Amino acid sequence: MRSDAAGGSAPKSPIPTSPIIEMKGVSKGFGGGSGERVAALQDINLELTEGTFTAILGPSGCGKTTLLRLIDGLVQPDAGTVRVAGHPPRPGPEMGFVFQSFRLIPWRTVRGNVEFALVEAIADPAERRRRADRYIERVGLSRFADAYPRQLSGGMKQRAALARALACEPEILLLDEPFASLDAQTRELMQVELMRLWSERKSLAVFVTHSVDEAIFLADQIVLMGPRPGRILEVIDVNLTRPRWSYDVRAEPRFAELRQYLWERIRALVLADPQSDFYGRDEVQSVSTGS
Amino acid sequence: MKIILYRIGVLVALVLIWWFFSTIVERQLIPSPLATFHAAERLIAEGRLSTALLDTLTIYIGGYGAAILIGIPLGLLMGTARTLGKTLDIFIYALSATPRVAFIPLIIVFLGLGASAKTFIVFLGAVMPILINAYAGALNSDEDLVEMARSVGASKSRIFREIVLPGALPFAITGLRIGATIGLINTVVAELYTAVRGLGGLLAIYGNTFRMAEYFVIVFTLAFIGVLVTTALRLLEMRLERWRGNGA
Repeated sequence: MRSDAAGGSAPKSPIPTSPIIEMKGVSKGFGGGSGERVAALQDINLELTEGTFTAILGPSGCGKTTLLRLIDGLVQPDAGTVRVAGHPPRPGPEMGFVFQSFRLIPWRTVRGNVEFALVEAIADPAERRRRADRYIERVGLSRFADAYPRQLSGGMKQRAALARALACEPEILLLDEPFASLDAQTRELMQVELMRLWSERKSLAVFVTHSVDEAIFLADQIVLMGPRPGRILEVIDVNLTRPRWSYDVRAEPRFAELRQYLWERIRALVLADPQSDFYGRDEVQSVSTGS
Repeated sequence: MKIILYRIGVLVALVLIWWFFSTIVERQLIPSPLATFHAAERLIAEGRLSTALLDTLTIYIGGYGAAILIGIPLGLLMGTARTLGKTLDIFIYALSATPRVAFIPLIIVFLGLGASAKTFIVFLGAVMPILINAYAGALNSDEDLVEMARSVGASKSRIFREIVLPGALPFAITGLRIGATIGLINTVVAELYTAVRGLGGLLAIYGNTFRMAEYFVIVFTLAFIGVLVTTALRLLEMRLERWRGNGA
């Protein structure tokens, strides 16, 4: 069982190998002490296989980021097990993490930031520098290798953060709404950029987003999550031909079909969530279904 | 460059105002700029100024240096080992809120009137802002950056050296600057309350005997030390924080 699937197509990975990431009955809460402990994630069962690009999609408050942190080993589950390649996960160069707010070190240059992530993996400073420069070049930032983060635009900062995560040549790439703070154009360009970079070396990618379009455009499979407590509702195969930048994916009937289906489900989730601003507001019209 | 011209303008205006008041205030309670200048020449020629300056600087540098050597590591330790910090900080705040002059009789009882008592008084004044700011700097370390560093597998000591420490730097330098000023004040206070020596000693002597020109020379010397130290610290800050782009 890959999900607590409520309908939807049977989840099947494109490459049938043993899972790299395996979550079984994982629960995680926050708070506690005098206050009540709030469940961020409840009974998560998920298996992700090599070379797949998975989007974790859901409205805010469904524990998407917590899920990534659990996979990276930054936090430990309250219950259940997380296994990465058969072991409890430990943060390190085997997994690259791209954060929403870039998290570049302001007193280091772009090169210094990329090198920072390589210290554990590469002992020789000259080799480290060569590797950093190669990935800075790959994200198109060579001219800015010696620039400090404050001198970069949002898109350039996220390229630098991407270079930092990719430079370790990780088996697993974890991305936490990496493009959420970028403007619409930059965001679309970065999506294509990410696709190109990922297709050069297909690592297992887990991409957290609350954007339906982004999830369909990028992913092989979409894990739909619901809020409070965060749980997996469904795993959906995207089934759109790659590379997707070479044609107008958004014009495909499959794209429209997925988009409408996912949008309706998310809308229903948001309207049923007492914590949401739109709780119970059934008259709110869906603006984006294209139906 | 313009700023320097403006500063010179303000300086000239201040000297003019000073000169004006020196002509109208009776009994020469305010010496004229020229008389002050001559007094300075005399004090330098007699070697009194340099002797007193050396005395004062020895006390000041000794006390301030010790405050840095103890305040910065202790502050960083308290900010990193949170339980230790939370336990101790209330005592530090209490001590720093107490007027340090209150301790002077006690210090004299234990350390006498000599250099060690003076140095300790300077240390006590300077160490508090240095410690408290280093503590605040370490407490304010960017949790997001720390998590990023953890995710690339950085060790605890590397996170401390490369994330926490540089992040605490602006706070620490603010502490050094406040500590430098308080340290200088306490140097003079110490010289007035214990064995009357150094620049503080001369201040007392000339003040009590109404030798106002000499008195002014000492006041200006102290102001000059203050400017020198804070400027040096600002240059250090600019050098360490070039990435902010307000330096080169």
